[in-house]
Amino acid sequence: MHHGTRSAARLVAGTGLLGALALVLSLLESALPPVTALPPGAKLGLSNIAVLYAVQCLGGFPAVCVALVKGVFAGLTRGGAAFIMSTSGGLLSTAVMTLFSRSKRPSFGLLGLGVAGGVAHNLGQLLAACLITTQAAVWYAPLLIGFGVLFGAVTGTILRVTMPAIKRLLPPSAGATAGGPHMPPRPGKGRGEVK
Amino acid sequence: MERKWFRPADLILLAAAAAVCLALLFWQHSTGDADCTAVIEQDGQELRRISLSALTQEERIELGGEYHVVLLAEPGAISFLSSDCPDQICVHTGKLTKPGQAAVCLPARISVRLEGKSESGADATTG
Repeated sequence: MHHGTRSAARLVAGTGLLGALALVLSLLESALPPVTALPPGAKLGLSNIAVLYAVQCLGGFPAVCVALVKGVFAGLTRGGAAFIMSTSGGLLSTAVMTLFSRSKRPSFGLLGLGVAGGVAHNLGQLLAACLITTQAAVWYAPLLIGFGVLFGAVTGTILRVTMPAIKRLLPPSAGATAGGPHMPPRPGKGRGEVK
Repeated sequence: MERKWFRPADLILLAAAAAVCLALLFWQHSTGDADCTAVIEQDGQELRRISLSALTQEERIELGGEYHVVLLAEPGAISFLSSDCPDQICVHTGKLTKPGQAAVCLPARISVRLEGKSESGADATTG
């Protein structure tokens, strides 16, 4: 409690950092060579990594902000339809991941959260597509669920692997992680656990 | 407090997603063959809309214009029966049976495509 101001600043700074990370990841993803075998709408969704980390370490509201930053950026660079699609997917995905990450029993792993987020993201987009274009888009649903599972699993796994690196960028507040390492691991010092 | 990569509960999510996916696929497969509407267009304008699932007998649709084209609509399928056009691609396309399929006669500028019947109000019709 005595860290109120400090943690508010940490929240804002962390949200900004993760928002920036999400934008960089979307840029990186658009720079990847397109895979023609994929159906339209199937995207890797790398920026979901930033959103999932925000859900995980900052909470629901900052994660919603990151998703909104992502949507506005998509709107500015690719037009209004992209804003609607990105935001609808992002918000539903964030809501679902926040809900699932709070569940203690059963408790889900990063793989499960990534999968839930990926599927929710695609279904949110499908919903928006149905509303703004044609209801025939519903026929895409099984495909989008399938790719949501696949790419959600990929993003969840990438987050697990890169967690130490992101932690260095954004150290968890000391109070929030009882039992966790109080100092972020420094590069070059090895990964040995200090007892 | 660090979250693990995998928890047993993740399997529930995976199984649920797979189940929904398979159920939808099965539903599409079982209804997709019969439950669709043919949209016939000429010069980009919709001429007719036929519910193929509601058809009980064959129907020939003759279309004029630059070329004489005959379509054959039957329960669950539609095809170009004949056409005066030089290339005959439309006739060779064969029968359309699933939503999303389309056949086009470019010289006559006539296209037929099948839509899933998701826009109709009724979920089912009983006799």
